[in-house]
Amino acid sequence: MVKEEQESANRPDNTAFTQQRLPAWQPILSAGIIIPGFVIIGLTFIGIGVALFVTSKSIQDMEIDYTGVETDSDCYKCTNTDEKNCVCRLDFNIPTLIEGPVFFYYGLSNYFQNYRRYGVSKDDTQLSGDLDNFKTPSDDCSPYETDDTFVLYQNLNGSNQEVPFDGKGIAWWTDYNVKYRNPDVTPLKDAFEGTVKPPFWSKPAYELDPTDPNNNGFINQDFLVWMRRAALPDFRKLYRRISQDDYARGLPAGNYTLQIGYNYPVMSFKGKKKVVFSNVSWMGGRNEFLGIAYLVIGSWCIVMSIVMLIVYAKFKFPEED
Amino acid sequence: MGIFDQDVSDQNSLCYPSLYKPGQQNLLFNKRQFFLCTLQGLGTSFLLFFIPYGAFSVMVKEEGSHFSDQQAFAVTIATSLVIVVSVQIGLDTHYWTVVNHVFIWGSLVAYFAILFAMQSDGIFGIFPRNFPFIGTARNCLSAASVWLVIVLTAVVCLVPGLAVSFLRAQLFPTLTDKVRCLQQSRKRRGPREQNLRRGRRTSSRRSAYAFSHQQGFGELITSGRNMRRMNTYLERNQ
Repeated sequence: MVKEEQESANRPDNTAFTQQRLPAWQPILSAGIIIPGFVIIGLTFIGIGVALFVTSKSIQDMEIDYTGVETDSDCYKCTNTDEKNCVCRLDFNIPTLIEGPVFFYYGLSNYFQNYRRYGVSKDDTQLSGDLDNFKTPSDDCSPYETDDTFVLYQNLNGSNQEVPFDGKGIAWWTDYNVKYRNPDVTPLKDAFEGTVKPPFWSKPAYELDPTDPNNNGFINQDFLVWMRRAALPDFRKLYRRISQDDYARGLPAGNYTLQIGYNYPVMSFKGKKKVVFSNVSWMGGRNEFLGIAYLVIGSWCIVMSIVMLIVYAKFKFPEED
Repeated sequence: MGIFDQDVSDQNSLCYPSLYKPGQQNLLFNKRQFFLCTLQGLGTSFLLFFIPYGAFSVMVKEEGSHFSDQQAFAVTIATSLVIVVSVQIGLDTHYWTVVNHVFIWGSLVAYFAILFAMQSDGIFGIFPRNFPFIGTARNCLSAASVWLVIVLTAVVCLVPGLAVSFLRAQLFPTLTDKVRCLQQSRKRRGPREQNLRRGRRTSSRRSAYAFSHQQGFGELITSGRNMRRMNTYLERNQ
């Protein structure tokens, strides 16, 4: 009798939880679910792939390299690092209308913004306006920047008409409003007293845009765009938008001249510089990889579903053992 | 979560004791299986990096602001990873109790909650140096092209595994697969028939060889000790 009591004391509870009788959903991935599932995924992916590919093909973009490697290019004289504030001009022709709004990017290649030493060479607290860190930034701080400037002219009847650029809102909203803040000192120049401008910069931070206090110092839009580290060594960054006045519908076909203030030398690391004109669509810029990948995976899914259907039809084992 | 998974019900595991053979023979967890799992992990990592890499080489947001930046790349890969892992666990679970639902969907929700919390304005205000990813999730996950990349990566990582397990179940079905199919077809046929059968069965005593390499209860039953207890109970109540 004693043994009985001991047994019932050690007996586990008879609840649904402890006896694994909880109500449950028991899906079985049977052929009736998997094969139609694969067909649906395949067809959806092929559809998306076609849409992406067609959209990507309809985006117009134009690249012009201005590194100045060839001796007959106007920018060759600027590759000499002794020349400061060199200006070169490039003439080019746009064959058909590039529909607006057109975006003007500058691109660098072989430039590793994702390199770790580069990435940590900034002090976030200083950039968010903390005055204490101005004079004593963190140890890793040693900033780099590119500051080529561009002006675009359209050749109309022999004279050059400047194409207006729009530089508002080219950086991320959160960067402009939250991450980077100027210290609360007016004029901005006073906050930088006792500091020096970084070695490769042609202008100090408080002179990046003297005409507009909302675009000066650390919240200068070009500076913010540059500070967004690119993932890969071949990248583009937005410079300006072309969407105003006569060019609201886009860049019409014709001859153009691009005047470049070439300030940043790239020949030392075999880099290349280029400008790109492009328009965008619902999926962003030109990106053929996604369209092709979706088409490939969609077709593969359809092929697999056919294979599985054949296997199921031939080798199905009877339901009852 | 693994504790709550059941591939066959407890009644069926009593009916078909040879279901326990793979466990005894160490067929489900040995060096070869481990190696295959490692291989699958390596393949998935490769795909998780290179598919977004290919898509991000030139990527621009809808409103033209450039996009192929390192932080957006990181957030895309991390989100794809969490989705792939959660869905893979979900596909491997055969018995979805409340606990399983809470943990699997809960992990996804927790990931997004923590992601947005770590990249919010508030926490950047307190610790600017430690949270440099501010604003990335908001900007990155609001673009349709990023979600297209995430869906593509998830499907490419998961669908081959699904196809292989389906083909294996059709061409080389294990006893577990057959019993599960049987279970499902019996459930579909109707619960009433099962109850009738169960009512008749409980009156007969069967010995349960839960772990066939243990001694079992044969001695207990043949000695008749538990039967005697039942008789005394009936006598007392008559």
